[in-house]
Amino acid sequence: MSTTLAPAALNEPQVQDPGRRRGWAPYLLIAPGAIWMLLFLVLPILMMVYVSFWTQTTFAIKPILTTKSWVTFFSSETYLSSLWTTVRIWLLVLGCTVIVGYPTALFVGLFVRNKTLSTVLLVLCVIPFWTSFLIRVLAWRPMLGEQGAINIILMGLGIIREPISALLFTELSVVIGMTQIYCVFMVGPIAFMLSRIDPNIIEAARDLGASFPRIFRKIILPLSMPGVVVGAIFVSVMVLGEFATSAALSGRKTNMLGNIIVTQVGSLKWAFAAVAGVVLTVVMGMVVALLLRVVDLRREL
Amino acid sequence: MSEGLRLDGLTKRYGGNAALQGVTLAVPDDTYISVLGPSGSGKTVLLRVIAGFEQPDAGEVRFAGERIDQMPAHRRGIGFVFQNFALFPHLSVRDNIAFGLRHRDVSPLSDSGALRAKVDAMIDLVGLGGLADRGVHQISGGQRQRVALARTLVTEPRLVLLDEPLGALDANLRSRMRAELRQIRERLGVTFLHVTGSESEALAMGDRVIVLDRGRVGQFDEPDAVYTQPASANVARFLNCYNIFAGHLDGGRFMAAGGAFVLPNARRAAPEPAYCIRQDLIDIRPSDAAMRAGETGLVARFVTSEYSGSSVQYFFEVEGGRAVEVEAHLSHRRPEDLEPKRPYTLAWHADQALVFG
Repeated sequence: MSTTLAPAALNEPQVQDPGRRRGWAPYLLIAPGAIWMLLFLVLPILMMVYVSFWTQTTFAIKPILTTKSWVTFFSSETYLSSLWTTVRIWLLVLGCTVIVGYPTALFVGLFVRNKTLSTVLLVLCVIPFWTSFLIRVLAWRPMLGEQGAINIILMGLGIIREPISALLFTELSVVIGMTQIYCVFMVGPIAFMLSRIDPNIIEAARDLGASFPRIFRKIILPLSMPGVVVGAIFVSVMVLGEFATSAALSGRKTNMLGNIIVTQVGSLKWAFAAVAGVVLTVVMGMVVALLLRVVDLRREL
Repeated sequence: MSEGLRLDGLTKRYGGNAALQGVTLAVPDDTYISVLGPSGSGKTVLLRVIAGFEQPDAGEVRFAGERIDQMPAHRRGIGFVFQNFALFPHLSVRDNIAFGLRHRDVSPLSDSGALRAKVDAMIDLVGLGGLADRGVHQISGGQRQRVALARTLVTEPRLVLLDEPLGALDANLRSRMRAELRQIRERLGVTFLHVTGSESEALAMGDRVIVLDRGRVGQFDEPDAVYTQPASANVARFLNCYNIFAGHLDGGRFMAAGGAFVLPNARRAAPEPAYCIRQDLIDIRPSDAAMRAGETGLVARFVTSEYSGSSVQYFFEVEGGRAVEVEAHLSHRRPEDLEPKRPYTLAWHADQALVFG
């Protein structure tokens, strides 16, 4: 905007730009937010980076700079495998939320043209959030366990004879649980983008002779991609930082980076925790940067 | 003329409201048809039923002898141009225009050379040269209108339905696009069915005009016939250039609020009596002037006038508050200096009035 306004301002020096005249006053509006973020986000991150280079002994931590914690992290089987577990679970959950969430969003955002009904349906998606996070996670145990609802039903139907033990306390149960919890964050943004598509556009494509699969591929999917990207960013940031779901549903067998941080902090190994935290922050940054490259959000929104 | 579009008893209801009530029409090939009607007259519904976006509740749609009302929209060979253009926002001008050829279900054009040639020819035809690679948000409203038209025309439909295609353009552009739409249609030799709420647009563009009146065909005729001989008082009302009086017939006169008019020789049967006189056929005289032979008229108080360059619109009020409008073309006379609140005689030839009832 400023570049387009500049020539006009030169031609008419009498006219004062009302936005400019107020000077620094508008910046007061963002001051509380900026101060908050500086104190409680930027400073802690810098602190975390700093602490990751401190010297860790069994019972104490000293501010003597060393790369020992970093070397330990990247030469340890446990830490590297937890990094890989984190990435694997993130990709699986992301894939599952797209597979479950996109068709749901397609229904709510595109096929339900009644605004009230589509709002009601979106609220229905959010209803699980009226219970606490812990209850939502733990509720999966009686569902997935060996004596759980799914095994009982499958055995009752005669589909299986022995209960499937792989359902609970495995990576599968972690993925199932996370998909359920985070799916709505995928549905929301996609449904929003889909509901903004002018129905005339789809009718126009139909009138021009395209079949629905074609219209979906060439019109609906590209126009909803910003929603998919925003949803993917929500889900990614939350899944990458997860520790509670993986602890509760894997029986502490699946260790994500979040679990490592919790354990290290619990045993006062601040330097190791800080290293894992920095690695996690960097991974998240890369993931978000990658997703933002998929679609130019500035243009699409 | 070969057989074009034929509608027979077409009916469409929404809830309890009938949007179309037995529309029966035969539209010849290779003509420009405009469809005039106020909002709520069913004109957009009519187009949507013909296009196949809506299913009729009763009646038939035939096109080139073939019954098409059960056929899906994209197999009818009918193009549709939307009022808001409905361009694909993420595609360039070229890809918008190529969409139908490239992605249609029936015999898509996959040869990129042939596709490019066709699209380029269409871009030239509608005057979009040099804009092919722009995004559709980077072009003006008039250019978007052309893209919408080109996107439809390139698929070579035999009939093109245009839903208020000029409604989103400013007045200047609208009049230029009128001429252009007619030229493009003539060059391609297809039938255009152009829906509009503007009587001047309908009369200027159509070789023939369909006037829709509450879901029925009020009149289907040539523009000058519609203008000079509206088939009903409602059609006259939609034309926006008639003074319409309600009242009743009494002997040789039409009794209306504000006056008793001498009847013309001819009159048409209608359930509701109405007396219509075109605004530009009325003469304004001092209140004491006598009627001449063959004339009829009334006395009304002048309220105000509206100057619009080539003509002036005068507004009068008869007893009881009814407004009477007079249009005076300034090429024939000078603007008259009328005094507000003063009574004047408004006179016209009795034979020029249209009487229903």
